[in-house]
Amino acid sequence: MILAANPYRDSDIFQFFGVMLNRLWQLVQGNLSLTDLASDEIQMLVLVGLCFSSALIGAFLVLKKMTMMANALCHTILLGIVIAFILLKPFSLEGGLVSSFLSLKVLIIASLLSGLLTTVLTQILVQVAKVQEDASIGLVFTSLFALGVVLVTLYTKNLHIGTEAIMGNIDALDIDDLSLVGSVALLNLVVFFFFFRGFTTATFDPLFASSIGLPVSWLNYFIMVLTAGTCIAAFRAVGVLLVLTFFVGPPLMARVLTDKLKPLLLLSFVLPAICSIFSVALSRHILVVYQTPISTSGLVVCVFAVMYFLLLLFAPKKGVVNQFFQRKFQKVLPKVG
Amino acid sequence: MNYSLVDFFTDPVLRAPTLGSIFMCLSSSLAGVIVVIRKRSLLGESLSHASYPGIALGVTLLASFFSPSSDGFAIAVLFCAFISSLVGMLLIDLLQKRFSVKDDAALCFVLSSFFGLGVLIASRIQTTHALWYKQVQGFLYGQTATMQDIHIVIYAVLLLVTGSLIVLLYRDIQMLIFDKAFGQSIGINFRLVEIVILFLTVLAIVIGIRSVGIVMMAGMLIAPALAARQLTQSLKFTFLISGIIGALSGFLGNYFSVMIPYYLHAEKLSLPTGPMILLVASFICLLALLFAPQKGLITRMMRVVKFRRNCQLENILKALWKDLGRGVTLKEVSSMQNLSLSIALLRIRKLSSKGWLDCTNKRYCLSSSGEVKAREIVRLHRLWELYLVHLGAAKDKVHASAEEMEHVLTPDLEKQLTDLLNDPLKDPHDQPIPHKGGK
Amino acid sequence: MGIMSSEPALSVKQLTVNYDKVPVLWDINFSIPAGNIVGVIGPNGAGKSTLLKAILQMIDPLSGKVEFFGLPFKKARKKIAYVPQRSSIDWDFPITAIEVVMMGLYGRLGLFSWISAKEKNQALEALELVGMTSFANRQISQLSGGQQQRIFIARALLQDADIYFMDEPFAGVDISTEQSIMQLLRDLKAKGKTLFIVHHDLNTVKSYFDWVIMLNTSLVACGPVGEVCTDKALNEAYGKGSFVLDEAARLSLRRSSGLK
Repeated sequence: MILAANPYRDSDIFQFFGVMLNRLWQLVQGNLSLTDLASDEIQMLVLVGLCFSSALIGAFLVLKKMTMMANALCHTILLGIVIAFILLKPFSLEGGLVSSFLSLKVLIIASLLSGLLTTVLTQILVQVAKVQEDASIGLVFTSLFALGVVLVTLYTKNLHIGTEAIMGNIDALDIDDLSLVGSVALLNLVVFFFFFRGFTTATFDPLFASSIGLPVSWLNYFIMVLTAGTCIAAFRAVGVLLVLTFFVGPPLMARVLTDKLKPLLLLSFVLPAICSIFSVALSRHILVVYQTPISTSGLVVCVFAVMYFLLLLFAPKKGVVNQFFQRKFQKVLPKVG
Repeated sequence: MNYSLVDFFTDPVLRAPTLGSIFMCLSSSLAGVIVVIRKRSLLGESLSHASYPGIALGVTLLASFFSPSSDGFAIAVLFCAFISSLVGMLLIDLLQKRFSVKDDAALCFVLSSFFGLGVLIASRIQTTHALWYKQVQGFLYGQTATMQDIHIVIYAVLLLVTGSLIVLLYRDIQMLIFDKAFGQSIGINFRLVEIVILFLTVLAIVIGIRSVGIVMMAGMLIAPALAARQLTQSLKFTFLISGIIGALSGFLGNYFSVMIPYYLHAEKLSLPTGPMILLVASFICLLALLFAPQKGLITRMMRVVKFRRNCQLENILKALWKDLGRGVTLKEVSSMQNLSLSIALLRIRKLSSKGWLDCTNKRYCLSSSGEVKAREIVRLHRLWELYLVHLGAAKDKVHASAEEMEHVLTPDLEKQLTDLLNDPLKDPHDQPIPHKGGK
Repeated sequence: MGIMSSEPALSVKQLTVNYDKVPVLWDINFSIPAGNIVGVIGPNGAGKSTLLKAILQMIDPLSGKVEFFGLPFKKARKKIAYVPQRSSIDWDFPITAIEVVMMGLYGRLGLFSWISAKEKNQALEALELVGMTSFANRQISQLSGGQQQRIFIARALLQDADIYFMDEPFAGVDISTEQSIMQLLRDLKAKGKTLFIVHHDLNTVKSYFDWVIMLNTSLVACGPVGEVCTDKALNEAYGKGSFVLDEAARLSLRRSSGLK
């Protein structure tokens, strides 16, 4: 859907929010329909949808200390997509390279394939060949990624897709991407609603979990598959490498503010969502005021990092500044006799 | 164009990429040995991504002052990448130690945040200075095609620096890895060694990313070193073999990235060098994992086959000994030992060739040397049964274990058992234990 | 409901476990009558934790048969409660004490059913039994070692099992906690429950346990504490007689996995 004119076209950061709230109001009143979304709004919604999925999955990845596996998975996704694409090409109806890439069938097959390949090959190296775990993970995913890049470049005779894979192309998002991200978010919501207890128990105390009959390894594979699925949904927006920040950053941010699991999950969604919306606005602002187009996805990642460091410094209980003053305060207070 | 192998070293367009690749991959494979042995491979992944903003910033700032093809420019960009990676390292350390972030989360956070920063900075010049942007992007997957002769010198020097550091600190590195406590007791300052190793790792990464690319750098640190570890236990040879594999991968990767488009009649296509180099290195690593003389999977499988065959041979000898005098036919051997006729034949032939069997009228029996051998096996079997009963097992449950252990016990273990059990004469089933030497 | 079966609470036959190509348990056979507090002792690396994990099917044994009150593990699951080693947990996990205890309900209720107020009260009662009611909403890293162990015990209590397996419950725990846990265990025994405990401290064996299993890769002894805790048996468990066994088993594994 190409709009005649983007309502955000000339807004600086303050005007941006003005336009956004105005349009929100129009939507509520029924004057605006969802098909009239501006590209900036699609970007914001896609990012927020991503934040939602990644909050749930990322929190457990961080708690399970499986973030490096997630990183590995994010890389092998490329190979998964290429293979799925090659397998399905005879069956796909129309051309359009990039849109075929994203069709749902490709997505499902690609995520299952990638998840399977990564975990199986790594496990074979670790258990059969007795290779140390860090080297196994590193070797498997870089090799599979290399294979993916070579195949993509040869197959499409174009390296662009390869670089787009790891950085995304957020400016080219359209309503189909939004529906994809939305579906994945919904899927994750449903899964986590049902499996929350299972994931929590298996993550916190896998031995106890297996003693009461929880299929711990299946739950792990399940999380890996969900990670792969979310990764692919993020493929177009931010690319496979930057999606890692969505998985890892928010739980770290949230952990500074809370010691409990449910608030952690909530904050892991809210904080990056705020950052994402702010980033899209900021990106527009820089474009309009300084005439400089920049990568919104790169900006989002940087804003996450900035927010994390601000939290580390200024958070209520655990922030560096706060603890500094607490210690000073204790020294100044006279000892109670 | 159809290039010959020699062309790669002499042609003015090809020689810089070729030699440059070789030198770059050589440094990363040498540093990789240390990284892999210390189990820090994933740190390499983080540090290589952390260098990206340095590159982007370097190109953006410096291209205004230098011409992108000047020598100073290349060195300056490498310097920026180096600093950027070091900052990443410090941040990882800070997060892990001061803020109690788990190791993997700190690595992944720095990895992706720095990378995002690099993407942001690079996007600044994406539309305005397309040529510079292409330079920056080249570092993602590795692109050596634009290298000049001067780069050969630069990378040769850097390789020399890396190599010298390793040689100079060799003994300290060795002690750090294998016997830190001893080293500390003789006064070696390991903090300094650790810092130098860190410096070395970052240097090797920054050197390598031009040919291997940021994304694949971690693999290049791992693959040659891992392959080398399969082939040797000595640290010296590990470095040597890793270096050879690295250099070879550097050359072949570069070679393929030039020649494959040619063979596919798509000369306009530029294949990035990084993936090709890594695929070559991984392939070599796979070969090493499968076929290495000691640890290779295929070698091990063959050894198991041999061992099982040996067990079958020894079982036949044992059975013949118990059956003294009568002699057995091939058919009886086959059914007793649960072997097919053809395999039984092979085994009989093997035993005969070792001089352990005599054959009269198609009936086989033990020769005198065969008897000695058979007695040894029976002795081990019955000693083991006695030992297990001594440990508390029930008499009727020890046979199965003895069936297995009689093929495994070494003379040394046999002596220990004999001593422990006081040179016994009878096993738990009251059968005589043959003396040592087979009387 | 008391335990009606006259079957032994736990029966293990010919259990052999190889863990990562190294033999850890070799042909273990024993049978424990119900209503006893059993201590498993042996030197470090003797396979005590492995025995527990193999019995509870967390590790695949090479061979062996295990029965609980005459039933296989899958059928007996609801009668079993397991308390893992404290060191196997990441105590930075953002979870509170009461949330940990409530996990004890998941075995009975499954993952998907609603937890009623009655069950929440049961969890609070369990917390009270271990003296941790005031810590219910504390995040677990803020608890001491003894307090953490009590939370684990409370979780096990909530499972209302017939046989309880505990892996070194007294490691790194203060004296008063140790004694109050021991009292809880005695109360459980009085109700007819069976307790199977991997223990690390030889000094307290005679006062804590009715029945002892001495392990050192193979079974050294199993029986009532008075009969088994003799100098001879202790010497064998902690002495060098089984060195040959370890060495030989290790060699056997190397040969069958193709290493020289």
